[in-house]
Amino acid sequence: MIYTPRERVLAAMNLQKPDRVPLMCQFSIGAMMQQLKPSPAEFWYDGEVFARGLVELRERFNFDGILVSLHGHSPDWKKDVLEIRDLEAGRQEVVFRDRTELHSWSDLPMVYQLEKRVPADISEINPEKDIPSVIDYIPVSAGLYFKIDQEHKFDIFSYLSEITGGKYSVHGEITSPFDYLLDLLGYEQGLISLIMDPDKCKVILEKFAAGIGDLAEEMCGCDIDAIKISSPFAGMGFISPEHYEEFVLPYERAIISRIRAKGKHVYIHTCGHIDDRLELMRDSGASGLECLDPAPVGNVDLKNAFERIGKSMFIKGNIDSVYSLLYADDAKAESDVLNIIETGRRGDGFILSTACSIAPMVTKERILMLSRLVSRAGIYLP
Amino acid sequence: MEEFTDKISLTVQKGKVDINSPYPPDMKGQPGADELTREALDAGVPANDILNNALIPAMAIVGGLFREKKLFVPQVLMSARAMSRAMVHLKPYFTSGEIKERGTFVVGTVAGDLHDIGKNLASMMIEGSGWRVVDLGVDVKSEKFIDAAREYPGCIVGMSALLTTTMESMEKAVKEMKTLLPAQRIIVGGAPLNAEFAARIGADLYAQTPQAAVSYLNSL
Repeated sequence: MIYTPRERVLAAMNLQKPDRVPLMCQFSIGAMMQQLKPSPAEFWYDGEVFARGLVELRERFNFDGILVSLHGHSPDWKKDVLEIRDLEAGRQEVVFRDRTELHSWSDLPMVYQLEKRVPADISEINPEKDIPSVIDYIPVSAGLYFKIDQEHKFDIFSYLSEITGGKYSVHGEITSPFDYLLDLLGYEQGLISLIMDPDKCKVILEKFAAGIGDLAEEMCGCDIDAIKISSPFAGMGFISPEHYEEFVLPYERAIISRIRAKGKHVYIHTCGHIDDRLELMRDSGASGLECLDPAPVGNVDLKNAFERIGKSMFIKGNIDSVYSLLYADDAKAESDVLNIIETGRRGDGFILSTACSIAPMVTKERILMLSRLVSRAGIYLP
Repeated sequence: MEEFTDKISLTVQKGKVDINSPYPPDMKGQPGADELTREALDAGVPANDILNNALIPAMAIVGGLFREKKLFVPQVLMSARAMSRAMVHLKPYFTSGEIKERGTFVVGTVAGDLHDIGKNLASMMIEGSGWRVVDLGVDVKSEKFIDAAREYPGCIVGMSALLTTTMESMEKAVKEMKTLLPAQRIIVGGAPLNAEFAARIGADLYAQTPQAAVSYLNSL
């Protein structure tokens, strides 16, 4: 039986084996830019340009699904822009009243605020007043936010459905309450607050979790198969398993249960070393885990991960985008990917993907190699 | 004397900054690194002894526990804060020359990367081991690293990157610096790096943990 790309991904997320291992990587913004060479500012701000880019990348690289990492694009994004300066090919400066943004093909936009943003002091935060009930921004990276237009929160999903005919597995993305907390307080002060003022942190996390849960629940009404929870700072590189259990798990679990109640899949994306907390992540109730970075970025052994959690969660991973795709020679790149396919296809639910996003300078030949190898080595025998 | 240095060392290891700090709960109401260092200096303990017999060994213990994943970033940050508080009292002794700094460490997060937690953590541990730290901040372009290396002759340069995307900036910065200042020693660190990458771009050391950087610096 031949599966459609969407059926293939859905089967894996349901812990079943389709005709072959599904392939679905997430691209870093820089990788999207490098492959598509769009107007960088338009690509970031214009929802339709972004959506068409996602579809184009799926087609070029024969992926079975599309991750929508940004949503809530405003059709009026230019209304607050004072000027867009074309600096050189692939570099644009977008000037707003309060900031200047440098958009380029190389990576995420860099934001230069006129007035430096000072992180909030936890002692001065009134969670009722200061933490939004409605989540209207995505904390993308340090100092970089994506505003969610409340009138157009999920337009991108409708547009994608329209242009792809629902043939591919489309996944939305939300950000963990833990990330919102660290962003609010600043990473350093946020981490210190976990031990200096744990109770206040929990009140803040609860408020964020409620708002993010609302957002996720509403997103479930779109034509999507799953939601990814981006939780990059919840690994061993930052916090202990005890802190994970106290400050991450309950809040992600609350969101996950709301998504699952709507009949959609949900998976957690945590970067770096997570080997010591795989079972805790499973206890979140999520349908799957993404990343599982191998060394040196992380410490997960894929076979061991399947043995420990593979009966109840699908795994999406875990090709090292830097050391296997970017820096390795052809022989090593191919052998690394084949080993992962071989290990993954023995598990119950497996989606071949890079662990973290595809790094910007990974060549198109290397990305194309993935579909070639998965078609050759990822076939499930009936 | 030893009693003082042992107590100061313990406050740093446990992250007890001052008497008002609620952390750690089992030391609530007890004096922290702040009060004990002041008290020790008032009692005639040489500043050099406080640095070498209390602060530096304490941060080495903390670094070791961090490497072994027995301590995590929040606890290490608290230890670093306790150490910094103690260092405030020792500053005048550095200025007067009674305590000699081991050298100067110039550090920054490479261009395009705004993450500073790894850099800050390493800086605090390096400062705690007796080095002067010149922090260039985040999103540091190659030229700024080079200017700083020229401004502080004999310094060691540290470059940090958290993102796979900014490893390329690091490569550029290391190569440009080595072209203009071939003898300049450079340490690199950050989650996506490894020793092979560090060697490939021409860095002198890949520091997997802050303690690895401290050990390297102190071996020079």
